[in-house]
Amino acid sequence: MKALVTGAANGLGRAMTDQLLDAGHEVWAVDRDTDALDALAIKSRGSCRVILADLANPSSVQRLMRDVKDVKFDLVILNAGISATGRFEEIPGAAYEKLIAINLTAPLVMASGLMRQDNMSSKSQMVFISSLSHAVGYPGASVYAATKDGLAIYAKSVRKPFKKRGVGVTAVFPGPIRTEHAERYSPKGSKANKRMLPEDMAKLVLKAAAKGKKELYAGKGAGAAKFFGKLAPNMMSKMMRKVIFDKLDSNTY
Amino acid sequence: MLKSRNILITGATDGLGFELAKAYASRGHRVVATGRQLLTNDLDFFGSPNIAYIRADQSEPEAAARAIAQAMEKFEWGSIDLAILNAATGWTGHPADETPEQIDHQIAINLTAPVLIAKAIAPLLFAAQGQLAMIGSTAANGQAQFATYAATKAGLEGFVRSLREEWRNKTHVQIIHPGPTRTKMHAKAGLKTGMVRMFFMSTKRAVRAIQRSIRNRDGKRVLSRAYGWSSIFSSAKEGEL
Repeated sequence: MKALVTGAANGLGRAMTDQLLDAGHEVWAVDRDTDALDALAIKSRGSCRVILADLANPSSVQRLMRDVKDVKFDLVILNAGISATGRFEEIPGAAYEKLIAINLTAPLVMASGLMRQDNMSSKSQMVFISSLSHAVGYPGASVYAATKDGLAIYAKSVRKPFKKRGVGVTAVFPGPIRTEHAERYSPKGSKANKRMLPEDMAKLVLKAAAKGKKELYAGKGAGAAKFFGKLAPNMMSKMMRKVIFDKLDSNTY
Repeated sequence: MLKSRNILITGATDGLGFELAKAYASRGHRVVATGRQLLTNDLDFFGSPNIAYIRADQSEPEAAARAIAQAMEKFEWGSIDLAILNAATGWTGHPADETPEQIDHQIAINLTAPVLIAKAIAPLLFAAQGQLAMIGSTAANGQAQFATYAATKAGLEGFVRSLREEWRNKTHVQIIHPGPTRTKMHAKAGLKTGMVRMFFMSTKRAVRAIQRSIRNRDGKRVLSRAYGWSSIFSSAKEGEL
């Protein structure tokens, strides 16, 4: 099987890439972290093709699309994402532009581009990594929440038209994962052991993709968050404010 | 006579934004209207001395936000009572046919620009304990024929849901989702609506419904047919927007 993973060098993306390689698949790993990509290439002894790309940069995304022009993928996981946490009005506008470019514009451009270039095999799966914030809101990271809601609804919108061309679409809503990303953007002193290990989350995502599931809510408390988020969205946003926004003591972007 | 308020409305040269600007101005409020057109005579175009127009092309979000902030200084507005961020653009067709330029253009105008404008006017909104109303779309639930447009509107919804909680007691943040309305939006997006257009909500009714939702300080409001009809009987009372 041939798979493409964005944000493959660290965190959840790395865990998924490792597991795909261990299972004997070929992986095209996209990231902007040169050192981590090198390590991945050496460790995999060639079964992992690394592509250095900065998804915040449209011309870098175009180059990436040209690089994979002739490959037929069975699995594409659009996973790369960053965040910006703190008081909305205090974070620089440039940080928001970059956040939207990486989390929303790049995956949309890649998804439609891969379809247009006929990059997807006739029985393939495209996976969009959204966030559990889709269910509960995220005061203190309102623009991150915006990009993840946008991604979730894009996945829902393209599900039928892509399916007609043999491409299944999975939207994933992961709860907190124990990664550097989560560490960086969370309030200080929040408990890491309340977050799922990236390896465990990776297993769930790959399983959901293999089964062609439409949606996956995964992680500690994800089921409850989804349920109460639908039932009482305002209450959940208030709770999110208490557990996150009120505890953030600095802006991180 | 109602108290005159400061109101900012984006995307006000056409459709809902244009009618909203005229409605508020006719009640004596001061309106700053934005658009990407070059207008030679604001008074002729809007027919009201209460409306000042500034050019803010949201396909360049940073520049648009800056233009609006500078206009606020120029007009010496120390506060904004109500900002309606309404400007938007759409593209319709198979999602595989959407080019990177079309995707980027829609995200810039519909999502990035409102985010940066909200940030730019935050101090003015706080000064008035004002109200920020985003115009979404019922497409925010997902639409195969305008996937990116739907994503940008869903993005606004996610933004509002989170920011409303963050800005509690500073500025009320809300989102209003119009359904299909008889504006030029569909034609501009390349969609032929034909006879179906008959069943769309009239612009006039949608404008009343939006004003009502703003007065009610809703968190999220979908402009259903029933809400549209019942809005006919809703009007601003003394001291209301």
